[in-house]
Amino acid sequence: MTTLLRVEGLRLYFRTAAGPVRAVDGIDLEVARGRTVAVLGESGCGKTSLARAVLRLLPRNVAHYSGRVWLDGQDLIDLPEDRFRREVRWVRLSIVPQAAMNALNPVLRIGDQVAEPLWLHGRVRSAAEARAQVEDALRRVGVPADYVDRYPFELSGGMRQRVAIAMALILRPDLVVLDEPTSALDVLTQANLLNVLKTLRHELGTSFLLITHDLATASELADDIALMYAGQIVEFAPARQFLPHPQHPYARALRAAVVSLREDRTPQPLPGQPPSLLRPPPGCRFADRCAFRFDRCSTPPPRVRAGEGEVSCWLFAEGGSRVD
Amino acid sequence: MSTSPLLEVRGLCTWYELRRFGFLHQGWVRAVDGVDFEVARGEAVAVVGESGCGKSTLVKTLLGLLRPLRGEVWFDGRRIATATDLRWYRSRVGYVQQDPYGALPPFFTVRRILEEPLAVNGVRSRRERESRIREALEAVQLVPPEEFLPRFPHMLSGGQQQRLVVARATILGPQLLVADEPVSMLDASVRVEVLQLLRGLQQRNRVAVVYVTHDLSTVRHFCERVLVMYAGKVVEQAPVGDLLADPKHPYTQALLQAIPDPDPDNARRLRPVPAGEPPSLVRPPSGCRFHPRCPAMIPGVCDGKDPPEFQVDGLRRVACWLYDAHAAPVGSAQR
Repeated sequence: MTTLLRVEGLRLYFRTAAGPVRAVDGIDLEVARGRTVAVLGESGCGKTSLARAVLRLLPRNVAHYSGRVWLDGQDLIDLPEDRFRREVRWVRLSIVPQAAMNALNPVLRIGDQVAEPLWLHGRVRSAAEARAQVEDALRRVGVPADYVDRYPFELSGGMRQRVAIAMALILRPDLVVLDEPTSALDVLTQANLLNVLKTLRHELGTSFLLITHDLATASELADDIALMYAGQIVEFAPARQFLPHPQHPYARALRAAVVSLREDRTPQPLPGQPPSLLRPPPGCRFADRCAFRFDRCSTPPPRVRAGEGEVSCWLFAEGGSRVD
Repeated sequence: MSTSPLLEVRGLCTWYELRRFGFLHQGWVRAVDGVDFEVARGEAVAVVGESGCGKSTLVKTLLGLLRPLRGEVWFDGRRIATATDLRWYRSRVGYVQQDPYGALPPFFTVRRILEEPLAVNGVRSRRERESRIREALEAVQLVPPEEFLPRFPHMLSGGQQQRLVVARATILGPQLLVADEPVSMLDASVRVEVLQLLRGLQQRNRVAVVYVTHDLSTVRHFCERVLVMYAGKVVEQAPVGDLLADPKHPYTQALLQAIPDPDPDNARRLRPVPAGEPPSLVRPPSGCRFHPRCPAMIPGVCDGKDPPEFQVDGLRRVACWLYDAHAAPVGSAQR
């Protein structure tokens, strides 16, 4: 298994009137080639900012941006912006942004929009060639080829979302970031789209970085799950371990709070709320809500092994590995 | 205590008129098209369906905000659909909106938000208002009340805002709470808290609840009965346990199969999903509205005649021709 994306000590702070907001605060993450990593977290934990930091899609109010990002061994942070745009963004690393289905240009036909990256990156010489590639890309995501000439308003939400995915895949990137790809869709549409993504993974071998707040969605695609809390990753583990046996106290509490259709247990609420990212506590950021808190939790927890994964928690220090 | 249902909905049709240039009639959007159900006193009923199935239109009709084209809504023996003065009704029905922040006036403090319904409904005594505001805050666990009273909505977290909305909806002691997707905008860890709060209020104060949601997985612990809507119609109604264990209508079956549980094996298999999308509500398909997508479609039957509701296993009603042989149609549903 070769590493495709490696992120080390990534930080992204935003400037606000009240001071810098530490949206991404020291993140280490690895995505192996052909695997899908789900970044799971509740709203405001910094998961979308993480995606933006990786793709260098930064807003103007950045107060601090540091760390290292390698794609296939190439350092992306030091790459000049014009080279990043020409060689990396969309070519090797693309994104399906949140609510992408509403981001399509309403006055352009579907086919012209999907073909745009092909023209910009000089992949096609003629309109016929572009059309053939667009039809192929649309077919892969389950959009009928005759939709090429339609406008976005003529398509349902699920179909528009598929078009956005076709756009992200058209240059055959190594890694696609999917930011909440299904959260605005209906249950059946959601299941349909996840089926499409699963098939694409097998057919193209593309890696996905899936940003989601929903544990069940994560379970549909992820090989590995990275759980975020208040700007940091608190647990990283293979899905086959994380889903049945979450380790970090936050992961366990979240798992217990999730309402599921078939499980016969009563969900348990998780009291309290995450700390402010303006002034996060110096130690473990979950400590205030944690049932297992003890005196060491007021200093930053180390990242230690737990079974096949890693957690940032003092309970697991001293080499103790507590996978039940 | 009377045994008649608290809420009775009969043959309800709420259609929106489609017009061109503002006056030329173009047709109707049949958002709610012939819906029958009852809600007993103190009962929690979930209305489940995908977007565009008419569930929000149903809610607005139940609240008296939209006038139905046909059909009736009876509340506690009084007819509300055509009543002109609904103040008596609104003081007995609470509404919990989907987006708590949008539902709370941004320049009102918590005190003022809770005082408003009391003032409108003639609670004159200052002391009584004050004590009822405190009680309401305590009931939704916004404690201590002093800490919350002077705050504005933006100073509360999403979960606290939604609890405030619940407090406002219940401060007059309603007999019915209508909750339209009350937790869909909240995070997983807060969701359960709000649902348990609603469930607690329902059971302690014997308030009936109509809980509208797109998410079947939340109904299990929080309702007694479920209505499944598709394209403007109720396709199945059943006690929650029966519906989840043994869905009868092909649409309900498809819906249940499409919902994942957090299981690591999910990533290794495709989910069965019926092809296609919900039909247009302007020109719905003939016969059963699910028939173009239905895996069990009977040619010549399902595409011809609208299925009535069939009584199955006592308490369940299923609008599907597959159950024709098993039971006699429910009389009221045949139109």
